[in-house]
Amino acid sequence: MSEKKQQVSRRQFLNYTLTGVGGFMAASMLAPMVRFAIDPVLKASSASEMHAVVEVSEITKEPQRFDWTVEQVDAWYTSDVTHSAWVYKNEKDEIIPLSPVCKHLGCQVNWATNEPDEFYCPCHGGRYYKSGENVPNTPPNAPLDLYEFEVRDGTLFLGQPVPRQEV
Amino acid sequence: MLQKVYDWIDERVDITPLWRDIADHEVPEHVNPAHHFSAFVYCFGGLTFFVTVIQILSGMFLTMYYVPDIENAWRSVYYLQTEVAHGQIVRGMHHWGASVVIVMLFLHTLRVFFQGAYKKPRELNWMVGVLIFFVMLALGLTGYLLPWDNKAYFATVVTLQIAEQVPLIGEFAKTLLNGDPSIVGAQTLARFFAIHVFFLPAALFVLMAVHFIMIRKQGISGPL
Amino acid sequence: MKFVGDSRIPAEKQKFIPKDYSEYPGRTEAFWPNFLLKEWLVGAVFLVGFLCLTVAHPAPLEKIADPTDASYIPLPDWYFLFLYQLLKYEFASGPYFVLGALIIPGLAFGGLFLAPFLDKGKERRPHKRPITTSLMILGFVAVFWLTYEAAAHVDWEAKAENNKPELPSEVEIDTSDPGYAVFEKSCMQCHGGELEGGAAAPTLIGIDYSVDEIKDIAVNGIGSMPANQFQGSDEELQQLAEFIVSVNEEQE
Repeated sequence: MSEKKQQVSRRQFLNYTLTGVGGFMAASMLAPMVRFAIDPVLKASSASEMHAVVEVSEITKEPQRFDWTVEQVDAWYTSDVTHSAWVYKNEKDEIIPLSPVCKHLGCQVNWATNEPDEFYCPCHGGRYYKSGENVPNTPPNAPLDLYEFEVRDGTLFLGQPVPRQEV
Repeated sequence: MLQKVYDWIDERVDITPLWRDIADHEVPEHVNPAHHFSAFVYCFGGLTFFVTVIQILSGMFLTMYYVPDIENAWRSVYYLQTEVAHGQIVRGMHHWGASVVIVMLFLHTLRVFFQGAYKKPRELNWMVGVLIFFVMLALGLTGYLLPWDNKAYFATVVTLQIAEQVPLIGEFAKTLLNGDPSIVGAQTLARFFAIHVFFLPAALFVLMAVHFIMIRKQGISGPL
Repeated sequence: MKFVGDSRIPAEKQKFIPKDYSEYPGRTEAFWPNFLLKEWLVGAVFLVGFLCLTVAHPAPLEKIADPTDASYIPLPDWYFLFLYQLLKYEFASGPYFVLGALIIPGLAFGGLFLAPFLDKGKERRPHKRPITTSLMILGFVAVFWLTYEAAAHVDWEAKAENNKPELPSEVEIDTSDPGYAVFEKSCMQCHGGELEGGAAAPTLIGIDYSVDEIKDIAVNGIGSMPANQFQGSDEELQQLAEFIVSVNEEQE
């Protein structure tokens, strides 16, 4: 009886050691590979660069669409990508650079094509006021993103679009 | 907890016999290095399998970055080696593993050969083993091209030249491998990638399964 | 028999008792966990060694493939070197190519494949089957020697040095520049049509010389570059140097 008991514990011991050694092998084999695969998640997003877009003097009270081209480095592939923004000056003469990407499902909005003085998204009929705030009871549930911006030597520089809180 | 999950599944699918079938079999004492040190020669087959597992895993991870395209293949390899964390190691595992697996396979073949372990009733398993050797060499050959660097390109040009000079089927074989009668380029790389990543591994899996099933059926050859 | 629901899974699990192997020839031990543990210990030691190898020796990568690089000497991976070497010999090349590329390796590998049918005797010990054993040793020595012969004649370090990976330059060469015409006449033969360098001369992209220094090098040479490579007037020399400097400035 006692011998049998010992037999069982020996088998258990072997099983634990086996799991341990197997775990060591699997871990040391997979650790570099997993780190390799999740690298894009862990890479710090590069600090957003500002790009010259337009002379401040060209900005009017009426939203205008401005495009600018950015050299985008996508790992081993470098390409020129065009971004755009709707820019205008409000009553207080502040520059408002709005992202044209609809907050509903990512289509491009246009100014005053459907309703006067409103941004309109043709995909699902989303509407935004001039301030970029979404018209209640239309598909979008958040205002248009605002670009980070700064003015240097009379030129408007834009960075990344930043989401705003729901109104 | 784990035991309960296991029991729940086992009640429905009856998995115990499946893994017990793999786990429960005996191994003769004479292949055990703990009994006679000279039995280490029996480890080469297992190590070949182990390196093959490393190759499959590292290869799977490498394709997360690699693209088989002549414009970008080299750039993506360069990128994953220089910019991605541990890229150097993962590609190193695949690169050196390819050499080590050939060495292990070679030693395993020599062990089986000099022990006369291929004799009746194990003739078929020996032949499957030699086929595995050929598949491994072909994997090495096709994998050599994929980084699309100078040595890859020129070595492949020579290989295809050799294929072309085979009588009767040469032209046909070359065009089939190359994808184009004369240009070694975009189509060649795409083909070699497909062969390296899908066709040969599929053949390898089938052959390895047959190899292992036959070992289980026949047992390991007795001591000399 | 009772089953789980209407399935074919037996409802009563029997205790799984490993088979009795005592009737098998020879002394044995269980695969799981006894033998597998030993095997995995060997595997773990092997893995540590293997990982050390991969960390110590990064996988080599050469320059991006350049089909116009006429100076490149191709070599296969080491396990094909014996075939590469075999095809160098007279009896295996030229009119005998088929012999070297097909018949000799075909016989060797065919023999290996069909070994169980060529060596049908019952005897397993190597010294009791001298023909088989000596043929294998002969084959092994031949492959080993051919591989050694092939590898010994290659200057691996110089080859690695000449083929260091570098990102292909993104520099646009302005071929309408008057300096480029001068470059074409005097320098292109060695330094390449896109200043990328070649077997005899280094690249001219990414160098850190002033206009005057380049003028001096073009006339007097530097390192292994001989003097008087440049042929033409002083005005052309100035254009050439300014062109090369402009290309390098653009690259930064």
